[in-house]
Amino acid sequence: MREYLVFQLYAPLSAWGDIAVGETRPADLAPSKSAVLGLIAAALGLRRPDTTIDERQRYQWETEHLALAEGYGIAAKITLPGLPLTDYHTAQVPSSGSGRNRKVFATRRDELTWMPRHELNTILSRRDYRQDAFAVIALWARQGAPYPLKTLHDRLLAPEFVLYLGRKSCPPALPLNPCVRTADGIEVALDGYGLAQAVKGVIDDRDLPAIWRHLDESKPIFCWDSDAETSLHAELTIRRRDLPTSRRRWQFAVREECRAHHATGDAI
Amino acid sequence: MSTFLQLHLLTSYPPACLNRDDLNRPKSAIMGGVPRLRISSQSLKRAWRASEQFEDALTGHLGTRTKRRGVKIFEKLAAAGIREKEAKEWAQAIAGRFGKLKAKKENEPRNDLEIEQLAHFSPEEEVAIDALADVLISEGRAPTEPELALLRKQHTAADIALFGRMLADNPAFNTEAACQVAHAITVHRAAVEDDFFTAVDDLNNHEEDAGSAHMGEQGFGAGLFYQYVCIDCDRLHENLGGDAGLASRTIQALIEAAATVAPTGKQNSFASRACAYYVLAEKGSRQPRSLSLAFMKPVREGDMLDSAVNVLTSMRNNLDKVYFQSKPLASRSINAIAGEGDFTALKTWAAQVGDDA
Repeated sequence: MREYLVFQLYAPLSAWGDIAVGETRPADLAPSKSAVLGLIAAALGLRRPDTTIDERQRYQWETEHLALAEGYGIAAKITLPGLPLTDYHTAQVPSSGSGRNRKVFATRRDELTWMPRHELNTILSRRDYRQDAFAVIALWARQGAPYPLKTLHDRLLAPEFVLYLGRKSCPPALPLNPCVRTADGIEVALDGYGLAQAVKGVIDDRDLPAIWRHLDESKPIFCWDSDAETSLHAELTIRRRDLPTSRRRWQFAVREECRAHHATGDAI
Repeated sequence: MSTFLQLHLLTSYPPACLNRDDLNRPKSAIMGGVPRLRISSQSLKRAWRASEQFEDALTGHLGTRTKRRGVKIFEKLAAAGIREKEAKEWAQAIAGRFGKLKAKKENEPRNDLEIEQLAHFSPEEEVAIDALADVLISEGRAPTEPELALLRKQHTAADIALFGRMLADNPAFNTEAACQVAHAITVHRAAVEDDFFTAVDDLNNHEEDAGSAHMGEQGFGAGLFYQYVCIDCDRLHENLGGDAGLASRTIQALIEAAATVAPTGKQNSFASRACAYYVLAEKGSRQPRSLSLAFMKPVREGDMLDSAVNVLTSMRNNLDKVYFQSKPLASRSINAIAGEGDFTALKTWAAQVGDDA
């Protein structure tokens, strides 16, 4: 038996970033631990170490993030992995000259309107998203966890910074509805949340059949940290590089994640 | 705990191609198992940041619109006895901060003191320019980089406070954006349509062939878009160094731009400019959420404008009922279809400091 903080994540677009080199910015179907911890850090109001020049401050903020990464275990139940979407993304920037050619732009407007078009360079990228994905997250506190689960729960209800599902352009489209519960295993802790369930009472009952077809939540995917309490058998163990070690150096350690399909029968 | 200002906008665009993918077709997405048109978050932000409305709203409507500020500065410096060559260089340095200067011209010696396009000077900026010119005259020296940067402080600050800055080569200046913008998605099922077009050659007399001189295809789509923006008011104040007046103007400028500025893509072909007909602003400290779920079931044809407003407000009420013990956030709205509400009053209310109902 363990205590869990459980909450739901739904948005029309979400993006759980994978290893991204250059132009291609892929996304995984399962929430990454770094992104979920980032969301918790935003709720708590932890700062990004790369937004200060004070060395001591940086060190302290870096330590706070590290404590989060080490302090909690994570499990996820993905009832709707969502359809993939690749967004073709372009951004224009003027060449940065040096010496006498160096131009100073006060705003983005100046950057785009003062320069002749041929002096603007286009940067391309392809960014993966998931559409209409729904997942439930359970966190448990490990030895030395920096905050009790109740604190995380309260901060999620009244966060310090805006929350988002992987990218800042992906705001949650349902309240996270956090709860702290004691359960025997992650599969029990994660029970009772589903998009269809979440929208009951929110969407007109007469409308439900129309979107029901779209919400096949009968075969959820479970993902969990290897120290989870569970009676599920891992069908697959993957190594994801999503355990934050240094925000400043943008470094992530490898984390082992177990995965299994698990039709609970009560999944709706 | 922070105060969040959430904006929900409904904007209907006639046939348009506002935001294109690599195949030159409007961007799309699937929600509720149904295809929709989409305008990406970054496309919206670029359009707002680069808009004249945003710049004007930020400086306030009082002030001067001119290309000739540089000439005035030059005249002031020259009249005070600064040598012509230096007076010109200094005036150019100052005017150049407000717009790109015109090129040098043989028989118009003052041409390169003028800005290419009309620039807006707020009363504060005029005072700052005058004060700087006085300093230059009394000390007989050129303006320094920090002095010049100060002239457009409010523009720089507002732009970066809202949309953030990430400099790979100078991370000390990184700023976290105070504003979150979601991708805009149509509230209804919408497919990308194809316009097959031909262009005739006016000098072709049909003697040899009567074919067209050019054939092409252009993807387009019309749609009623739901747009969501969330501003972290505390972060905005912090990013602006606690300047409450500027924070208030920045919020108003953003609402103005979000409701009235469309991306510029293919505007010459489609002239699809549109304003939001419905704007809902909510203020409060609880966890922000978009209301896109209202449109998971696509709005059907017919009375779409009203239906979209109705399902949006009923989703808002239902979410409050289910998750927040029926406690609504403080809010204001305008509805141009019903002729209800006042946009200026909404902006003023939204920009007020603190979480007052």
